[in-house]
Amino acid sequence: MKKEDTVKLISSEGFEFVVDKTAAMVSHTIRNMLTSPGSFSETQHGEVTFPEISTLILEKICQYFYWHLQYASGKETEFHIEPEITLELMMAANYLHT
Amino acid sequence: MEKAIYIRVKRHKTTYFIQCDPTETTLDIKQKLQELIDQPCSNQRLTLVTSSEILDDSKTLAEQKVENDTIVALTLRKDDNEFEEVYIARVEDYTSFS
Repeated sequence: MKKEDTVKLISSEGFEFVVDKTAAMVSHTIRNMLTSPGSFSETQHGEVTFPEISTLILEKICQYFYWHLQYASGKETEFHIEPEITLELMMAANYLHT
Repeated sequence: MEKAIYIRVKRHKTTYFIQCDPTETTLDIKQKLQELIDQPCSNQRLTLVTSSEILDDSKTLAEQKVENDTIVALTLRKDDNEFEEVYIARVEDYTSFS
């Protein structure tokens, strides 16, 4: 596991989530950031800050990335979402094209 | 090939999502972390958050009931050779109302 293969996602409260790039790229928005040539200075340092996304939601999104990879490789489990975070999670997912 | 599970390794405000297999040992996990945190395996200690049980280097994840999405606390060796206390920041302590 190499540092270059990971990306650090930072929430509005400054909490950091270090995930595999392959997982983060489940989000089309993050994929574009990581693969666009020459742009987005954040991604060159392997860090993306999301001032609009709270820690709770960002962690849930990271869990979703991994669930998505596991599901794609054939594991059939459910992804649990607490009802009270549904709206905020949907707005973040919409922004991230996840 | 995707790994079967992931665990969440937490210290202070950082969470590392680590992909692994239930057959891997604690030492295997520490070797993955070593790349990310620039600390040798011998300076890392992993503790199960739910039971405060310290994970044994030679045992596998399955043997120690570490499953998909499990939260594990990371602590590092301090200058006096002792390990620091487990500390995982809570989001409530960082919520700003500005």
